[in-house]
Amino acid sequence: MAAITIDQIKHQPEYLALTRARSRITWTLSIATFVVYFSVILLIAFAPDSLGEPISSGVTSIGILLGLGVILFCLLVTGIYVYYANKVLEPLKQAVVRKLEGAV
Amino acid sequence: MKNLFASLMLLLATAPVYAQAQGGGAHISAILMFVAFVMVTLGITWWAARRTRTARDFYAAGGGITGFQNGLAIAGDYMSAASFLGIAGLVYLSGFDGLIYAIGFLVGWPIVLLLIAEPLRNLGKYTFADVASFRLQQRPIRILAASGSLVTVTFYLIAQMVGAGKLIEVLFGLPYEFAVVIVGVLMTLYVTFGGMLATTWVQLIKAVLLLSGASLMAFLVLYHFNFSFENMFSSAVDVHARGIDIMAPGTLVSDPISAISLGLALMFGTAGLPHILMRFFTVRDAVQARRSVFYATGFIGYFYILTFIIGFGAIVLLLNNPGYFDGSGSLIGGGNMAAIHLSHALGGDILLGFISAVAFATILAVVSGLTLAGSSAISHDLYATLFLKGKHDEKKEIRASRIATICLGILAVMLGIVFENQNVAFMVGLAFCVAASANFPILLLSMYWKKLTTRGAVMGGSAGLITAVLLVVIGPTVWVDTFGFAEAIFPYKYPAIFSISIAFIGIWLFSVLDKSPAAKREQEAFDAQLVRSQTGVGADSASEH
Repeated sequence: MAAITIDQIKHQPEYLALTRARSRITWTLSIATFVVYFSVILLIAFAPDSLGEPISSGVTSIGILLGLGVILFCLLVTGIYVYYANKVLEPLKQAVVRKLEGAV
Repeated sequence: MKNLFASLMLLLATAPVYAQAQGGGAHISAILMFVAFVMVTLGITWWAARRTRTARDFYAAGGGITGFQNGLAIAGDYMSAASFLGIAGLVYLSGFDGLIYAIGFLVGWPIVLLLIAEPLRNLGKYTFADVASFRLQQRPIRILAASGSLVTVTFYLIAQMVGAGKLIEVLFGLPYEFAVVIVGVLMTLYVTFGGMLATTWVQLIKAVLLLSGASLMAFLVLYHFNFSFENMFSSAVDVHARGIDIMAPGTLVSDPISAISLGLALMFGTAGLPHILMRFFTVRDAVQARRSVFYATGFIGYFYILTFIIGFGAIVLLLNNPGYFDGSGSLIGGGNMAAIHLSHALGGDILLGFISAVAFATILAVVSGLTLAGSSAISHDLYATLFLKGKHDEKKEIRASRIATICLGILAVMLGIVFENQNVAFMVGLAFCVAASANFPILLLSMYWKKLTTRGAVMGGSAGLITAVLLVVIGPTVWVDTFGFAEAIFPYKYPAIFSISIAFIGIWLFSVLDKSPAAKREQEAFDAQLVRSQTGVGADSASEH
């Protein structure tokens, strides 16, 4: 990798496109996960009774629905990321790697 | 080695006779199924032993595990008996509260996938200390990371050993010490001879067994209620002593600080568990690492939904049946046995035998993963840095990790016996708290924060580690429940909110105050590290320290 320095890679459009795309998706999804999870945790902390309210005429509570919702949300987040990473990030990464290897 | 295996087989073959002598004859089917599991896994260990030659084989199964296999093995590593029996038991005792643990244990996974898995695979070799010491000074960082790993592993290991002993005592009628020794000997054999390859396959098989067993139980429960959740919940509310209250948060978290603290520890603890992080080095590249977390999240999420159904099934099907209760009106073997008794209620002795054997297999798989993580922290991080002074001597390092494994095995058996009557739930909590307060901040900031310096990581990381352990010791669970003092010095059961904050603030403060030339070099090396963590270019060659 001697022919190409870290400083040069840092300013390559391919590398910038990769890091930008990756930061955007990872931080968006991380913050979303954090917000969703801590909304439920804060409800447990400050308003536990509200979670016991039944959804309709039965006994199944809002809390149970929210809890299962968080589990499904986690699956959704990981699914979205893996799909995006395979479709968008991998090709971007390959472009950077090709350029790096071409320079060796 | 063959002799060793033969004598172990003999020991196992005597187990049913022993059990009968102890009056546990009803569970012969459980013992037979368990012996079958042990035979198969020992066979795998024997096969893996012949394929384990280099350090890369020993620590990382040669890096040849596929994403799907690794996902299943991660799930096998993560779905401990504590989460199967513990969450089902918690749901049985207080309904909704079990779900808090279930979502907390799961929500760490998106964070692992988004922030940790790929850069970890691109930067590291065998342990997370490889990543943290990538641009920082090897010696102090490795000592700190290895300490964090060992403390986490030890607490987790004690919890699993005590759980194993208690479970086997109730199920198979074997004496507690005998059970703890069997677990200790088996895990030492798997890891010493088979390394990561054998450990991975033990976890794979166990994950398949546990997922099928739990699926079958949840199916039978739902069948009982004509596949209506509303039917199941309303029957549970009718028979449970707490009535409608089981549909809302109850006794688990008594105040807002504890709730937030527990929430933080569960979420970030997962991302700092050394035996989980180690699994990302068994796959070929970042793509497989990413894939494996996706599969793992799917399996683990599905599994927690099953345990929730199993817990509610236990409320309805056990509470009406006096056969599962002792004279004083509590469940035989305690709340943690709810899932086991339910398997009997659903499918008689055969299903009871199967689920019991699966629970034991689960403990074996988890302790093997923990032991491997502990021994690699000792041999790869401590021994190679302190005694070999970074000189690369693979043979010595592998030998050191085998010796470390045997020592850890003996230590685990001893601690398991010493802590027999301690409350183990807090030890799992403590393991998560330490992982979230020491390991996770160092790992995260070393990968994402340019200004991190060795001094910052060491000061802040140690502060987080010490605070976490100290606050648990002077808190209600240890100070009052274990030591017997009247009042706790520190009022909260879960200290993570304080120890995580101290770690992050400490790392930040000591890094920005660090104006040394070394600090400047470390900050300048960040860009090269970032290129590598993003692209994986040079992933293998550059980490040959």
